[in-house]
Parts: sequence; C-alpha cells; structure tokens
Amino acid sequence: MINVLLTGVGGQGTVLAAKVLAEAARSKGWKVRTAETIGMAQRGGSVISHVRMGNDGEDVRAPLITVGTADLVIAFEPGEAARVLPYLAKDGVLVTATTPLQPVAAALSHVAYSADDVIHGIEDALIAHGCSRDALVAIDDASILAAANTNRKALNTVLLACAIAQGRIPVSVNDLKAAVTACVKPRFKDMNLAAVDAAAASISQR
Amino acid sequence: MAQKLLMGNEAFAHAALKAGARVVAGYPGTPSSELVETVAKLRQDGEAEGVHVEWSTNEKTALEVVAGAAYCGARVLFTCKQVGLNVASDALMSLNYVGVEGGTVLFVADDPGPISSQTEQDTRRFAAFAKVPVLDPANPEQGYAMMQDAFALSERYRTPVIVRPTTRICHASTYFDIDADEGIGPVDGSGFRKDPKWVIFPKRSFEAHGEINERLGLMAEEFSDGELARFNPVTQGGSDGAPRVGIIACGVSYAYAAEALDMLQRRAAQEGAPMPAYRLMQVGTPYPFPSKAAARFAEGLDAVLALEELDHVVEDEMLRLAGALRLPLHICGKLTGEARDRGENSVEDALSRIAAFFDRRGGENPSTSADEGEGAFASIASSLIGPDALTAYPDALPARPPVLCAGCPHRMSFYAVKRALRKREAVLCGDIGCYTLGNALPLDAVDTCLCMGAGITMAQGFSIIEPEKKQVAFVGDSTFFASGLTGIANAVYNGHDVTVCVLDNATTAMTGSQPHPGTGVTLMGEHRKPIDIEGVLRALGIECVITCDMENLAEAQEAASRAIDFEGPSAIIFRSPCVQLEKPDPALLVDAERCTGCKKCITEIGCPAVGFDSSAAGAASGNRGQAFVDASLCTGCGLCAAICPFGAIGKASGEEKGAAR
Repeated sequence: MINVLLTGVGGQGTVLAAKVLAEAARSKGWKVRTAETIGMAQRGGSVISHVRMGNDGEDVRAPLITVGTADLVIAFEPGEAARVLPYLAKDGVLVTATTPLQPVAAALSHVAYSADDVIHGIEDALIAHGCSRDALVAIDDASILAAANTNRKALNTVLLACAIAQGRIPVSVNDLKAAVTACVKPRFKDMNLAAVDAAAASISQR
Repeated sequence: MAQKLLMGNEAFAHAALKAGARVVAGYPGTPSSELVETVAKLRQDGEAEGVHVEWSTNEKTALEVVAGAAYCGARVLFTCKQVGLNVASDALMSLNYVGVEGGTVLFVADDPGPISSQTEQDTRRFAAFAKVPVLDPANPEQGYAMMQDAFALSERYRTPVIVRPTTRICHASTYFDIDADEGIGPVDGSGFRKDPKWVIFPKRSFEAHGEINERLGLMAEEFSDGELARFNPVTQGGSDGAPRVGIIACGVSYAYAAEALDMLQRRAAQEGAPMPAYRLMQVGTPYPFPSKAAARFAEGLDAVLALEELDHVVEDEMLRLAGALRLPLHICGKLTGEARDRGENSVEDALSRIAAFFDRRGGENPSTSADEGEGAFASIASSLIGPDALTAYPDALPARPPVLCAGCPHRMSFYAVKRALRKREAVLCGDIGCYTLGNALPLDAVDTCLCMGAGITMAQGFSIIEPEKKQVAFVGDSTFFASGLTGIANAVYNGHDVTVCVLDNATTAMTGSQPHPGTGVTLMGEHRKPIDIEGVLRALGIECVITCDMENLAEAQEAASRAIDFEGPSAIIFRSPCVQLEKPDPALLVDAERCTGCKKCITEIGCPAVGFDSSAAGAASGNRGQAFVDASLCTGCGLCAAICPFGAIGKASGEEKGAAR
C-alpha cells in the first residue's frame, strides 16, 4: 500500500494533484482511492487530499490515510505541512513548498508567521522522532516556477514532480508526465510538462 | 469499456441513469451537489438523452416535482443534503402514504463532523420516522449498486427509498468501468392514471398506514434473506474457532473497521499475540432493520461492538434484538461510551475501539470492568497510532478556518453596512452560504445563523423585543429564492421594521457555483429571463428597495444608510458577481514609503490577501512592520485601498495610489 497525503490551503489545487496521482496508479493497474476536502474549507481553509494505492495488488478499504502511515506528504504551504506531521510514516518523506500564505489569524495577531521558523520546527520534530535527515524536502517553489516561466497555477505540478523525484514511491517522473498529460486540459499541457521538467531538474541539482 | 475516476457522487449519477432515472431534481448542498451536476453534464454531452434535470428552488419543490413525475410511472431521483430533507419532509411524510408508481429514490447525503453543515442529524433516523427504507453504502462501488437496486425496490413496494451516503462516500473517488455505449435504461413512464388513491384523505391514510407497516415487514425479510441481503454481509476473522465477539458497522465505518482489524492482525502476528475469533457484519440496509440476518450474526456471541457515525441507530436495533430474543449479549457502542458519540469515525478510532473491545471482551474470561489498565490489544494499537508512534509539530500554529475569499464582494457589503450603522446598536442576522463566514473576526458582521431563510424572519423576532435596535438580515441570492420569499411577505404583512440585504453574487457560491432562478440559467441548457430580485421585493410590498452595484465602498455605504434609515421594512440588493467566476484585476501593492504599519487594512476587513510583515521597515512605519499584499491571492477589488488612511495601497504602477476603483 502506498499512501500519499496532499495538503494545502483551499484553492491551491490539491484536488487536481490527487487526480494526477490516481491516474498514475491506474496506469500501473493498481487499485486506488482518493478522498477530498470539498465544501466550506475550500474557501481558504486547511485542506487535505488522501491518495491510497494498492501497489501490491491489494484492495484499498478506507478512503482516508491512517496517522503514521503516509509514505509521502506533499504540502503546498509550510504551515499546512506542520499541521499534518502526525500522518507521516517513520520512513516517509515530507515535501513542502516554502512560500507561506499568511493565515488571517496570524495577520491579526502580533505573532510572526515565518516559513523559515515553521520549516525549522518541522525539521527538529522529525529529528527528535528519529527520522532520517532526508525526510524533509523543502522546495523553493518560487524559483522553480520562475525557471519554468510559469505562475502559481502550476504549483501543484511542481510539487508533485519534486515529490516523485525523491524516488520514495515506485512512480517515475515519466509516469507522472503521462498522468499529467491525461489529466490536464490540452492547452495547459505544455506549461505543466515544463513545470515537471523544471522541478525534476531542481531536485537532481540538489 | 473505459476506466474512469469517479467521485462517489458522480458514480451515483451514472448508476441512476443506468437504472433509467427520467427526472432528476435537487437543491445544492455539501456533500450532495455533484450528483445533479454530473447528470447535467452527461446530458449536455449527449449521454442522458430524454432525461430532465434541474436545480429546483428548494428541496421541497424538488421532491414535489419528482413526485408528480413518479405518479406518471417515471423513475425519478431527488437529491439534497441531510438538512435539505428537513425542508422536503412535509412532502416526504405524505408521499409515503400516497405511494409512488415509478421508482422514487431520495439521495440524501449526511455530513458527519459536521464538515459543512449546521447539524449532525442522521437520515437513517429520518427514514425510520418517515417509515421509508434506507440504504447506507460503505464505499462508492457499493453505492453504485445500491442506487440501481433502489429504483426496483421502490417499485416493488411502491415506496420512496432513501439512499444515504456520507461525506466520505460522496467525496471519495475510485475507478469504475463505464461503458460509453451503455446508454441509459428505459426512461418512459406509463402515464398518469387517475385514481382516488392519489388524493390523501384521513380514511385513505389509515389504510395506507397499514400497507406501510406490512411492506416494512416484508422489506426487513428481504434485507435478511433476499437478493438485497448482500448489502448486509457477515465475515469471520481472527483465530480459528467459534467467535464470541462481533463487530457490527455501518457505512464508511465498515471500511474503517475492516482496515483496523487488518492492522491489528498484522501487528498481533508480529508480536505473537493471538487475535480472538470474531465476526464482522456490515448493515447496509439499516431500516427496516434486517433482524433475521443480525440474529444469525449474533448467534453464540457474548458481545457486539457497534461502529457507526452520527446516531446509535444499529446499536439501538441490536439492543432491541437482544431484548426480543433474550440473548445474553453485551451491546457496546455510543450508549456505553465505547464508541464516539458524534463526529466522524476513522481507522484510528476504530483501531483503538476494537482493541479496547478485544481486551475487555475477547478473552476466555471476559472482564466486566471498563478500565483495568492497558490491555494487550490497546498496547498494540498504541504502538501503531499512539503519541510515541507519531511525530508532531511542537508549537502552536495559527488556525486556518475558511474565510471569505480575497476580493469577495460580500466583504464590502458587510463592511458598508457596519460603517452605515456607525455606533447604532444592531443585530445582524446571517444565513446559510459563503456569507456565514462574515461572522469571523475582524468583520464580525453575522450575529446569528440558524437555517435557510431564517435571517430574514429572525430579524423580525428581534425587532419585536428590541425595537430600539436596528435589525439587519443578510441573505444570499440563492437562499433568497429558496426560503426568503415567505419571510419578506411576513415582514410586509406584519409591519416589521427590518432591513434585508440581498447579497446577490449571481450564483450559489458555497456549494460550487450552481445557477438559480435569479440567473435564468438552467441545467437543460435554456437561458430564461432571470427573476428580478428588485422586482420581487417591490411586488411583495417592500417600499424602500435600493440596488447597489458595488462600484466602490462609498456608494455601498450610502445605499446601506438610506435603507437602514428608512422606517418600515427595507431592502438593499448588493449586486456584484462572485469572485470565483470573474477574471481578477491586477493585484494591488503596498507603498513601502507610505505604509505606517497601522494595520487598519487588516484589522478592519481581514482579507486573506493582506498580510503583515513585522520585519518590514519604511520611512513612515519605522520598525513597526508593514502590511503587504499577496499578489497570488489579490483580485484588485480595492477595498483595502479605500480603507487605508494614508493612501499606501494602490495599483502596481502608472496609477494614482489609493485610488483603485
């Protein structure tokens, strides 16, 4: 069983990212279930998408991932990454964007909301838990989007590509490209494939 | 045959069409809305020819529309969320007495949590109250099968049938084999045949009640031993031997229980701990309860754990069964504190509940005490999902609840009304929709929210008791048509001095942008003349009706003042399209030279696109920090620019600062 948890802020595009992963799993003949946050939370609240793949030919029963069992967590926003840490498996990998979206609650308060602080906090928590140093992959999403000459609409593709390029789950960057091609509207295909390439290149240069 | 990723609600739509649904009508509401949208899309794509699909003005309307079609023998489908059935209940209660000709299925989606609802009411209870059968799927595939069988069941007994999934079925996706050429089933009804039975009278109701009681008994038999008994499967697991414990689960909790049992079994095997022999039953037809199947499941058991969301429906049925059959059976569940009494269940919860249940009841000598320290299975569960097994972020994170979108016109409407009220004491009655989010700080513009349409009428109650205050009701355009009209008539008829603000964003935004009577757009592809809200308000007798096109804050505030100052019922229509449907204007920018760091742009309106950078410094702000605009969210609405006392927010370049819109 492969569990991939996607999290972000309503409106960031986790739903499409989950669809792309489901398509990648289907093309390998695996059973797959996804579950979405649809409703009120889509209005700028915290959202989570669950993707579960039966890569050993097994049935997938529950639509939701159990805490402590996510092989990959893909976070579209660092604070949201912090929120879902309990889902990460001990040998899992957390890939997070570093660009923050300041919650209104933080803007109203006098407490600073800093992506660096949050990411350091995540790092410390993972190390304290005995996870590998490679368990956290912080992505400079703004630079990758700039390199791919695209806007934040491609953030979901960039993060998927960065996560897949970790090699933590048996889905390749080429599998991802095929799935992206199958899932996005034709006129956005090239933009998204360019985003995959730019993201994969940035990971291989690390 | 093509494999398609379908969300539960999409699969339900395919199933209903395959079963030959001829008329599909509903009112949007999370988590139910995608079913009707899918039927409309399939029809638009030419795959559901001859099908009529509509968003009705409210749930009662929708159910009555489909009831008429069902009297003609057509197969019909009604959809709503759980609270929508409250609105349609008047029709449902009588419809069951009258009976139907064509298969009549009510798709009612429950929302444990609740995630996007006012209540955690359980439609299985509603089914029992209305005396109609209800089917409760554990996953989208089973829901697909149930939806098709529901039509035949309805026709066999001439009863409405409820199919009741929950959020995690509706919004979970998996692949389905969909045959493109499969088309849809027979769609023709036999036509309406006049008969006294269609007119409900007390004498006929008495007879019908007997028929209802009789058919419920027959259905309970069928759910135990007929073809539909496959929705109530029993399996056995754990160690060999005769089981003494059982788990009975409903809906998605059945999937959670099955997964939790697998997890326990794997870890128990690693640790050499024997699992007890157990039985697991799903109840997919909770009402009428399949007592015979449940009695077979319970045979020889000492204890049963009921796992279900919302109410203790199956737990009650098992208690009744144990009493009626005088079984020496412990029924464990919500009533005994051994299952969650509200909210969503989960694999995690099932795991710890089952572990505790096995520890207490699964051994050779079941203990009777509830707390004797951590047992073997509890310790296994804790090794899987306990705090030591998990990592967690050590510090507090700022909450991120849903908010009005950046650039949402409702924000300006609320702010304009608050400014117009100045220091005047007021009660601000909200309603159901995106604009309920206007209650959040700092807008703090919604004091009450009860149910669809209640803002308009509750304001009238407030005005009777507290006439010295101003009562303002906010209602969305879709809600206005769904349940606002009778309240407006009441205000005029009884002379209640309230101001009604119709927040007209030309869509049903919260549930995903559905059209409504005020848009004129229908799901059948026709564009009718939109029903004019201003004309409706005038026709109902409101003398002061102001339409404001929300060009800027000053105009909106002026419109609000005029309506608020009017003596007698008044109305404002704040008209501006939903920001989700509009191409945004360029993002605004904070001028680092002018921003003083006063935070007024943040503390007045709470727009998610305006943040504060405490490390920013500038000529006017010193080291106080400065506001910033997140260009990825800003739609350039200009409200923050209108509020900034220092003209520090404006368009990016070439435009005069502080003068956006």
